[in-house]
Amino acid sequence: MGVAILGNMKFTVGWLYADLMNIYGDRGNILTLVRRAEWRGLETKVIELGRGPVQSLDDVDVFFFGGGQDREQALIYDDLREHKQDRLAGAVQDGAQVLAVCGGYQLLGAYYQTADGERYDGIGMIDVRTEAGKKRFIGDVVVQASIDDLSPTTLVGFENHSGRTFLGPNAKPLGKVLQGNGNNGSDRTEGCVQSGVIGTYLHGSLLPKNPHLADYLIGRALTRRGDGALSRLDDAAELAAHGWILQRAQRR
Amino acid sequence: MSVRKTAAVLAGKATGALSRVTGRGGGTTLPGDVARAIDPRILTRLTQDLTQGSIVITGTNGKTTTARLVSWLLEGAGHRVVANRAGANLIYGVTAAALNRAGTDGRLRADWGVFEIDEASLPRAVEEVRPEATVVLNLFRDQLDRYGELESIAKKIEKALSTTPAVLNADDPRVAEIGLKLQRKPEWFGLDDTSVAAKQLPHAADARTCPICGSSLIFDAVYVGHDGVYRCPNGHFARPQPDIAARDIKLNGFDSLALTIDDTRIEMPLGGLYNCYNVVAAYAAARSVGLEPKYIADRLRTFKAAFGRQERIEFRGRHLILVLSKNPAGFNETVRTAVEQAKGENYVIGLNDRKADGTDVSWIWDVDFEMLKDHAKVVIPAGVRAYDLAVRLKYAGVSAEQPQTETAKALDLLIKTTDEGDTAYLLCTYTAMLDLRAELVRRGWASPYWET
Repeated sequence: MGVAILGNMKFTVGWLYADLMNIYGDRGNILTLVRRAEWRGLETKVIELGRGPVQSLDDVDVFFFGGGQDREQALIYDDLREHKQDRLAGAVQDGAQVLAVCGGYQLLGAYYQTADGERYDGIGMIDVRTEAGKKRFIGDVVVQASIDDLSPTTLVGFENHSGRTFLGPNAKPLGKVLQGNGNNGSDRTEGCVQSGVIGTYLHGSLLPKNPHLADYLIGRALTRRGDGALSRLDDAAELAAHGWILQRAQRR
Repeated sequence: MSVRKTAAVLAGKATGALSRVTGRGGGTTLPGDVARAIDPRILTRLTQDLTQGSIVITGTNGKTTTARLVSWLLEGAGHRVVANRAGANLIYGVTAAALNRAGTDGRLRADWGVFEIDEASLPRAVEEVRPEATVVLNLFRDQLDRYGELESIAKKIEKALSTTPAVLNADDPRVAEIGLKLQRKPEWFGLDDTSVAAKQLPHAADARTCPICGSSLIFDAVYVGHDGVYRCPNGHFARPQPDIAARDIKLNGFDSLALTIDDTRIEMPLGGLYNCYNVVAAYAAARSVGLEPKYIADRLRTFKAAFGRQERIEFRGRHLILVLSKNPAGFNETVRTAVEQAKGENYVIGLNDRKADGTDVSWIWDVDFEMLKDHAKVVIPAGVRAYDLAVRLKYAGVSAEQPQTETAKALDLLIKTTDEGDTAYLLCTYTAMLDLRAELVRRGWASPYWET
């Protein structure tokens, strides 16, 4: 395991609505952030941010916001606006990172429009909008990441969504779709990156099979504490799982 | 007797025979497909021949075992039972089972139909079979890629239950929510023994909020997944009082369990807390069709588990115990039983992502594989998605063997890493189980599944 070059430093993950928004194995993302920070000697903790008022979020380095079922998503909708929105925006301004998957991704955008044309406002942290689509996109996704210096340069995951998300000028795609559908199935983009926030449809879970993206988030968040350089870990198992999806995509 | 019915039965039966002769599996669904093409009402016509009627069983986990328990009870009481035993639980599988038992004259000569039905197929099954009782065991997240989310399944089940007598699990908040809306009061079953309960919900619990006010439910006991004793903090919703409840539960690994219902002590060779639910559900169904408690208890003593459900196979001096584990709620229980009850040390974990398993494997992150840490000696990640399992185990702090995507190699590795006389637990998703079993059959250590 890695050398503890960051000893005595703290690393905190804030898990938004851990009890309700956790439909697609999202715990994998949390575990990956936590273990990879621990393996580097960081003092790590997870704060679950449930419904209701929250204490200060200043400690949080990386926020995670997963997807939920319709019923659960409806239950957090007002709470997000009332109790989380401002603090989340403040934390990101201070350099915290956000990873939002599927439902979480949609809720951070401008709005979600149903098939009947009804609009549900998101909190507008990222310049994306989502419309309901007819066909559900389900299956493996391979993406050529647009983030510089990621190694490998691909991201792999599984998508299961009927929303069609489109990016505005302030949001940059997380990557280009090599296999699967991604944001909307039409413009070959997947996810978005916008000032400290990454939104994506990829689960599977995402971070366990993409340890380089996990390290990117951890490193960026720690930069504000003075040092974002992370020691290397043995990622043979993670990259084998990553590679297996790439191989399967090539066989298709 | 309609000509069309007879033609449909004959065509279906011929397909089944052909499929078995050509070695294409047990002919467990294709005959139904063929017969339904000739006569779309064939299942209704056949089940009308039953002298007593049908019992239908649905739910995410436990369908096969519960159906087998109910059949076992009815057969022991002298009834002729037709059942879809091989786990072929879509409408075609049910139709095929009825066809298989029908005579060449097109008549189904049996007293009871006992059918396990996939949750999504329940409305159709209830409409075609018109059951005397419908049992709903539980509703957990499972195969999100195929079924969609829990909500849509719950709506389908609610619709189906409005037309059939219902036997429902009071301990499952999602099932109870459906049952409390029904006009005809369901028969509620549940567990009543806090000594076997956990205090906290597992990570991947689905039904954790009040359906009326959305508040987080308070759980006074958690038995399996989100099944337990729960109430809304604002008093809107609470677990219905079970009509039939199991008390004084004693668990003995995968070997046996004991429980008391009213004044009847039941002891049987089936393990795990999750099977207590199956036993209570089967008891409730059996009581609802008039079987006596004492008879039920006597008969259950000699019950034998279904294919791949705690099935035992001897393999080169190793005792293999095959346990189907297909979603977080089920997997957590089988791992818990293997580690805590059976003190298991050797494991093959099999994960496939074919259609029947669910193509999305992200749910493995909801399974508490952490339980294996410090208890397991050998853990072999196997199956099509063995690499994903290996990562999951790594992050659970479990040191595992190299992942094996080929079944034969996984078994070879098991032989290499264990000694004669050792016991190994094979916890697998559906097709991973089929693959493993097929390899054991190929090596002459197990019989084909349609013969079990």
